[in-house]
Amino acid sequence: MSSAVLPMEGAAASPRLESFSYDDEIVRKFLWATFIWGLVGMLVGLIVALQLANPIFNQTEWLSFGRLRPLHTNAVIFAFAGNAFFTGAYYSTQRLLKARMFSDALSKFHFWGWQAIIVSAALTLPLGFTQAKEYAELEWPIDIAIAVVWVAFGINFVGTMVKRRERHLYVALWFYVASIVTVAILHIFNNLSMPAGLFKSYSIYAGVQDAFMQWWYGHNAVAFFLTTPFLGLMYYFMPKAAEGPVFSYKLSILHFWSLVFLYIWAGPHHLHYTALPEWASTVGMLFSVMLWAPSWGGMINGLLTLRGAWHKVAEDPILKFFVLAVTAYGMSTFEGPLLSIKSVNALAHYTDWIIAHVHTGALGWNGFLTFGMVYWLLPRLFQTPIYSKRLMELHFWIATFGILLYIVAIYSAGVTQGLMWRAFDETGRLAYPDFVETVVRLLPMYWLRVAGGSLYIVGMLLFGWNILMTWRKRPAKYEVPVITAPALAKKYVPEPSHVGAPVPAGLWARFAAAGWHRTWERMPITFTVLTTIAVVVASLFEIIPTFLIRSNVPTIATVQPYTPLELAGRDLYIAEGCFNCHSQMVRPFRHETERFGEYSKPGESVYEHPFLWGSRRIGPDLARVGGKYPHLWHVRHFENPPSITARSIMPAYPHFLTKTLDFEQIQSRVDAMAMLGVPYGDAVNQAPAMARAQATEIAAEIERQGGPAGLGDKQIVAMVAYMQRLGMDLKRQPTTVGVAK
Amino acid sequence: MKLSDIMGYANLAVYAEVAMVIFLIVFLAIAVRLWLPGRQQALRDAARLPLDDDPTPAATPRGSTHG
Repeated sequence: MSSAVLPMEGAAASPRLESFSYDDEIVRKFLWATFIWGLVGMLVGLIVALQLANPIFNQTEWLSFGRLRPLHTNAVIFAFAGNAFFTGAYYSTQRLLKARMFSDALSKFHFWGWQAIIVSAALTLPLGFTQAKEYAELEWPIDIAIAVVWVAFGINFVGTMVKRRERHLYVALWFYVASIVTVAILHIFNNLSMPAGLFKSYSIYAGVQDAFMQWWYGHNAVAFFLTTPFLGLMYYFMPKAAEGPVFSYKLSILHFWSLVFLYIWAGPHHLHYTALPEWASTVGMLFSVMLWAPSWGGMINGLLTLRGAWHKVAEDPILKFFVLAVTAYGMSTFEGPLLSIKSVNALAHYTDWIIAHVHTGALGWNGFLTFGMVYWLLPRLFQTPIYSKRLMELHFWIATFGILLYIVAIYSAGVTQGLMWRAFDETGRLAYPDFVETVVRLLPMYWLRVAGGSLYIVGMLLFGWNILMTWRKRPAKYEVPVITAPALAKKYVPEPSHVGAPVPAGLWARFAAAGWHRTWERMPITFTVLTTIAVVVASLFEIIPTFLIRSNVPTIATVQPYTPLELAGRDLYIAEGCFNCHSQMVRPFRHETERFGEYSKPGESVYEHPFLWGSRRIGPDLARVGGKYPHLWHVRHFENPPSITARSIMPAYPHFLTKTLDFEQIQSRVDAMAMLGVPYGDAVNQAPAMARAQATEIAAEIERQGGPAGLGDKQIVAMVAYMQRLGMDLKRQPTTVGVAK
Repeated sequence: MKLSDIMGYANLAVYAEVAMVIFLIVFLAIAVRLWLPGRQQALRDAARLPLDDDPTPAATPRGSTHG
């Protein structure tokens, strides 16, 4: 809060003039973080792409696909796109509000706090600490840190709005406000969990409800972390680069409100044909389809902002980046509603089609908007002309070809696999009954993805080189311009254009002149609260019925909690990130029930904290794997997958056979589950003993089948116990059931 | 009696429809308001806000951004 208040001489008649300066130091910090984490996140992306193309790239336990894939997604979303949003938001907010940030200390806390969170994510995810919820994998201590840092950012932002010197809040700021409040709500409610140790917790929701919360969060993480913040940036930086105002300010307002009203309902489209109630998935579909209108309105608004400036696009790489970004926004928001239509989703879900869709948005929209914005900012932040315009051009073309190569390959992979799964031969049997056939068919396309992604990373290196070389030419001391602007009067005085207006006659005209919407916009806190209400109310109306109307989750008498050993196996399954490749959700289609078995019921997952339905099938579904193979099959398969399935791309888990299972730890896990209402009975007192007994049995059985001896205290027995349990509840007779043996 | 029973009997499904209608009305009001003749100049001024804010030393050969 370093803005000095200097009453100006001779300005007595007009409002008091104040002098202040903008904090660009914080913007420079976020800009560096954007590049560094962007490069790291994309390199991890390259590693996971290689691991899919050839499992030989899974070399160590800590860097196997299941652990690295969440690191890739978290790094590019929260570290790259997050820091990019903060870069643009700190630059534009101060200028749009004609005020320095509310508190320099909070700005610094936000910056260093966020970077510390990213580092902790980069350390904990490879170690296998995960909540198993997509884009919300980080464990509870880090979640608390995220909430604290985010609230600090929110306070700093709202504080700046309160002390602003510009009456009207420009539409970009609305997008920032909506993003900040909604992300806070989503993050807090999706991450509510019961700790079972410092780096382990279980979601307080189970099964259908957990799935519902997760995709309410997951979809809105896309909406309010990757879409609305970047739309705010678009509405600020595109007019800047095009040197003209946005095409239609009215359209931008409609764009804003319709996104806020619609997005929050769209989450269930991630759960079509799963055990989610039908009505919820229909609501999700309808609202997603409605999103077509505002998304394309916004895209058109962005593109037409270049009206009269199209000739500049040919020579200005910044505009090129923006045009491609907005086009990618249009493409991915066209495709999103399409994918949310149930019949399309039936083909696309669990396949690479979704991965291609996401990368159109992430590489095209978020990446290119960030590149354009940073290139525009470089000369202004480092106060020297940009190092090389030719490198910018080169970056643009290389990255564009990279995206094309990536998405064309992965779209083909998605459609190929989707069609192969559902293909029947003339006798009515599955045409590709061996799941691995549908995977190896994709490998050439996975190599093309490696090539496309590598090109994008080459572009990223050119980007970094340009940043570095521009930075090196910076002046010895940055000039900090002093800005003067009148303070806002406490009471609103109509602007000159309104003063001469005739007194409105008639009810409608008076209503119109009352300017209630402008009054909202003038009251930042009221505006923030109203936006929050819109988001919360929409969420509650969708969420409450799933949680509180009993008929939505019919119970099944034979469904019992996992035994302590099975629970320990499930924790290993989570830690290894198996859910990144294996679903546990058989959809009610003939081709799925033929391949995997009986379709999944909502009542089956009432003790699933968290749900493990998965979102992608790189390997087969596991919901019905219990009893399908002997114990020894699993032991051999975990030790070396190709020894069972020759062309398997699954990483090997030989450490399951050598690492000792921590039996004592199981008690705290069972206790946490019991606290969440899972009826554990005797197990709350004697989990380790029960687990040991079951482990001895399984180890003996493995030995009987001709496997290695002495596995009784190894992790593998827990994994086998869990695998053999999956899907068994439905086959049990109600009378023979005991409470958690 | 559990909360879920009470909620089940309360038949809250209709509330979601009411909420949707309210949202629709608010949205239409916002839309209608945008096209009222009295506001056009104010909106044009607002659209120019990003262009009038930057006194940073011009470091590029680009033209200055005056509204």
